[in-house]
Amino acid sequence: MKSLISHLLGDTRTAILAVLLLRPDEPQHVRELARLTGVSPGTLHRELTALESLGVLRRNAVGRQVFFAANRECPVFEELAGLVRKTAGLVDVVRNALLPHASRIGAAFIYGSVAAGTETSRSDVDVMILGELPFADAVKALAPAQASLRREVNPTVMKSAEFLRKRRAKDNFVTTVWKAPRLWVIGSDHELG
Amino acid sequence: MSLDNLARIGQLKAHTPNAAETLRLLASAERFLKDAHVAGLSDETRFNVGYNAIMQCALVALMASGYRPATSVPGHHQTMIQSLPLTLALSKDDWLVLDALRRKRNINDYSGDLIDPESASECVARATALLATTRRWLKQHHPQLLEQAK
Repeated sequence: MKSLISHLLGDTRTAILAVLLLRPDEPQHVRELARLTGVSPGTLHRELTALESLGVLRRNAVGRQVFFAANRECPVFEELAGLVRKTAGLVDVVRNALLPHASRIGAAFIYGSVAAGTETSRSDVDVMILGELPFADAVKALAPAQASLRREVNPTVMKSAEFLRKRRAKDNFVTTVWKAPRLWVIGSDHELG
Repeated sequence: MSLDNLARIGQLKAHTPNAAETLRLLASAERFLKDAHVAGLSDETRFNVGYNAIMQCALVALMASGYRPATSVPGHHQTMIQSLPLTLALSKDDWLVLDALRRKRNINDYSGDLIDPESASECVARATALLATTRRWLKQHHPQLLEQAK
């Protein structure tokens, strides 16, 4: 089921706000933001411009690089951040937990019963992380998310190239994971298509 | 929770350790780890072999500390992993990883979901490190349990 905030604001705006408002002191480069949220650059640009003109975000250009961050001066900053924090969906919580390691993650998605929508309230959250992140770091990063979701979060890590190679080779594990429904946490079908 | 409290809620029972069982378990863990490097094993088998070695290390440490798991009570694997910070003074981070491996084993055993190569390698590496820690700890705290019977 959709989270409350996704229902109110839409998935795209929710994803952008979740990344920027939950880590207000970490400005994000536009291209990185596109990668993290899986939102197309055109849509992202439109959203960011609107949110900046409304005072929710701050735009900062360093040379030719454009960064966006939460605007703490915005009169409703606390309320918006609170709304994200209290109603963010599972994907937002998992993404937020992985953000400190984003540079070592090529893509990440939730698979298994949660992604298929067949989960029970006790189902584990299976997360596939593609990139250079070691298993131990993934476990550590996701530990706080387990507490806030009140579910076990099980990461599986694999190098992106290995995942693609195994998918071509019809490896049992990778094929099974890839065939099943998934919820993108970082990236989109586009990158692994 | 302390070992004492785990015993009070019925997860652990009192146990008097001896050198023979300690050496037998260590030798078994050693054999598992040697087998883990046999070429051509599936990731599932490699994972399971590493996991067995982890359980045996946890058991050795628990028995040396005067307890054994109450295997009639559900969740004794969880209790074994839980006991590691209390016996071998395992750090929270190391504990988190071993607990994540335990859950992977559960999923694999009860749903047939496959094990990926990275998890299998991590499991064997963690088992190898844990066996070394266990031996070091025994030498320091329970050297009599490492003495071969004459």
